[in-house]
Amino acid sequence: MSYQVGKNGKPKRGVSLYSYSGEYGVTMNLEDMFVEMQDMGAKGLEILANTHIEGYPNPSDEWLENWDRLLKKYDIVPVEYGHWVDSRLYQGRELTSEESYKMLVRDFKLANRLGFTILRTKLGVIDDDLTPVENWREFIKMALPMAEKYNVRICPEIHAPTLLKSKTVEDYVEFIEQTGTKYFGLNIDFGVFETQPLPASEWGPNDFIMPKCEHSPVEDIIPLLPYVYCCHAKFLMMSNDFQELTIPYEKIINTLIEHNWDGYMLSEYEGPKKDVTGYTSEQLRKHHVMMKRILGE
Amino acid sequence: MLEKPCIQSRGFKNVERNGRIIGFQLNIRSLYYRGVWLSQLRPATVTVDGETFTGEQITWTINGVTYTQNEMASLGNVHWGILEPATLTVAKEGGLETGSHDIEVSYSFSSSYMPPSMDTMLSSGVNKRTLIMV
Repeated sequence: MSYQVGKNGKPKRGVSLYSYSGEYGVTMNLEDMFVEMQDMGAKGLEILANTHIEGYPNPSDEWLENWDRLLKKYDIVPVEYGHWVDSRLYQGRELTSEESYKMLVRDFKLANRLGFTILRTKLGVIDDDLTPVENWREFIKMALPMAEKYNVRICPEIHAPTLLKSKTVEDYVEFIEQTGTKYFGLNIDFGVFETQPLPASEWGPNDFIMPKCEHSPVEDIIPLLPYVYCCHAKFLMMSNDFQELTIPYEKIINTLIEHNWDGYMLSEYEGPKKDVTGYTSEQLRKHHVMMKRILGE
Repeated sequence: MLEKPCIQSRGFKNVERNGRIIGFQLNIRSLYYRGVWLSQLRPATVTVDGETFTGEQITWTINGVTYTQNEMASLGNVHWGILEPATLTVAKEGGLETGSHDIEVSYSFSSSYMPPSMDTMLSSGVNKRTLIMV
């Protein structure tokens, strides 16, 4: 089974179930989301372990059987497993490397059982620039042999306000080059390429609005592509003529095509009205119309 | 399926022990997009018709197990999932009278991937709903 980074073919389409977080458990269940993915021909799946696995971190046998059934029935590829190393798990101190390692391995095993080969590993941060915890190298290094054993690639998500040309990303790349590992890489969230913010008037009173920050030019992704196992196709608003209003999608996807990057772009809707029944579904469909057109599918 | 607001109407009732009403219960769902470990939660406050309950006056029941708010702080391996309502049991001798009650519930949680200065910023603030005790 390929783990989605190669030099032949084009980017592939998928969905992060995070998109449906305003409806999950209220108006939609896991199977409903799979039905929508099948409708859109979006085969690649991202789940959030702590959200979409009932009984996490110990799902029942019945739940696991149903999982296997749903993947088969809707022809879904488990791509990325979102999980967290909650460094501030206990108030007043940070997790030790040993505790962080144990948290990682618990998720490696579950991700492997569910068929995932890439992990979106959210690390704890220590400042406003999202610098990861100081001991990340230590516990990631400890975990690499287990990542290999369970065939999963640990990928921190590079998310605004982090820039692609930044100390954080340089440190990750240096770690990959020094260790020579194939089991640690990057997930790039397309929000890093935002060219204009969504007008404040579009947001609801309870929405979290990203503070203003600097963004990266699209070409900054090119030198990183060998390490990028997966992307979050972040979007905030699709117009009725199938354009995304804040992120330069055409340029991003064409850059990926030109460099033969063939991983999954997982749609991640993070705009307003997520809790309005059917709104996210419509936004996702428009997003996939746009991506299909740019991909020439 | 759960009701959309944090405060659920299903499960709102008085609690009886040994023939005496010792308090009341209500269910809440998490409005965060992911489940959390109990140690990430910060203690809840419940206000009913202007009367506020805090700390050890409130217990949480998750998946059939009941926890005091004190002990939750050290439980980093017990998970509260998104699909599981939590039952808050509030100690109030005699419980609540039949009729409408204005309920407010607030609690927060830590998110390690946010800057430390924004640790509990994703929490949903004060949740309000009027519930009917029968």
